[in-house]
Amino acid sequence: MTSEASTAATPVPETITGIVAAILGRDAAELTPDTDLRSVEGADSIKVLRIVAKLEQTYDIELEDDEIFGLRTIDEVVAVVGRALARDHG
Amino acid sequence: MSAATNQHYDLDPDVFARFLDPLRKYSAGLFDSDTTTLEQAQRRKLSFVAGQLRLLGGERVLDIGCGWGALLLFLAQEYGCRTHGISPAARQHEYIAGRVAELGLGKLVTNEAVPIEAYEPQPAAFDAVTMLGSVVHMPGLNDVLAKVRRALRRGGMLYLSESCFRSEAVRRACDDRPGTEFVRHGVFGSGDLRPLSELVAGAESAGFSIRAVHDLTDDYRRTIDCWIGNLRRAGEDLPGAADLLRYLEIANAGWGYTTKHYALVCAKAR
Repeated sequence: MTSEASTAATPVPETITGIVAAILGRDAAELTPDTDLRSVEGADSIKVLRIVAKLEQTYDIELEDDEIFGLRTIDEVVAVVGRALARDHG
Repeated sequence: MSAATNQHYDLDPDVFARFLDPLRKYSAGLFDSDTTTLEQAQRRKLSFVAGQLRLLGGERVLDIGCGWGALLLFLAQEYGCRTHGISPAARQHEYIAGRVAELGLGKLVTNEAVPIEAYEPQPAAFDAVTMLGSVVHMPGLNDVLAKVRRALRRGGMLYLSESCFRSEAVRRACDDRPGTEFVRHGVFGSGDLRPLSELVAGAESAGFSIRAVHDLTDDYRRTIDCWIGNLRRAGEDLPGAADLLRYLEIANAGWGYTTKHYALVCAKAR
């Protein structure tokens, strides 16, 4: 586990929203837990992959394919990160 | 390699000089440390390819999709190989001819602008064949690999490296995504990423013995990071820079998630 991961071992919704907003180039305040990420202006599947890569690096996790390709909302991202943390770090 | 592919590779060669290394090798390098430069990585990669082909010196090598001749010139200079390069992009061959003349390699290096479909090598004329990132532009994989096998002598070697969808399932999920379509039609004109399993199956069907598979994904990511840095430094006045940057950024977002970059080493042997 990296030092960065140990300081971010729980999936804080605000942290995740910040990561998503930064990569989509939006203000975090614009994003609500049920915002459909694909409906955000400037979002595309490439940016979703960048979000996944940043989350994996930040939390030292690996998401499964069905999780990556099924992501829709911030809520789902938080849940998926939580599941992956439980899997990868018990 | 279809004629449509030329729309990218027939761009002004000077555009590529602005972001590639001095050898103008337009494929993955091979990095061995954090301080390896792009040029060092490309030279190291060319030596790696020679090693995979078990070249000792003086062999006859066919490079299919030869780009601006980095491998042709390197193998001639470093190994005394007699190299022949083909690709359909006419401007690449003007550039290579100029380099061959400058370096005095006319006795060792030949090249011609011809698509693979129209090229028929003499049987068993080559000790080794190389295809670095070119089979992606060729629709008839089995026909191409059968032709490559005919071109090789018994015991001859094939080095084929390619970007691949990470699995058949990922191909089904991603093949019609906007990012894939932009790279395929907007940048190259044509191109089909295949999963590694399809390349291996093609090599098996053609009668090759599979000698090795190498995962070069991280090296390609780092190579493309270098190209992106060079393009940003070159500035937006460079013709086509915006599309090139978008292509390279799409490529680097996908590595490991949707795509991988593999090298396949095969022998014409039992």
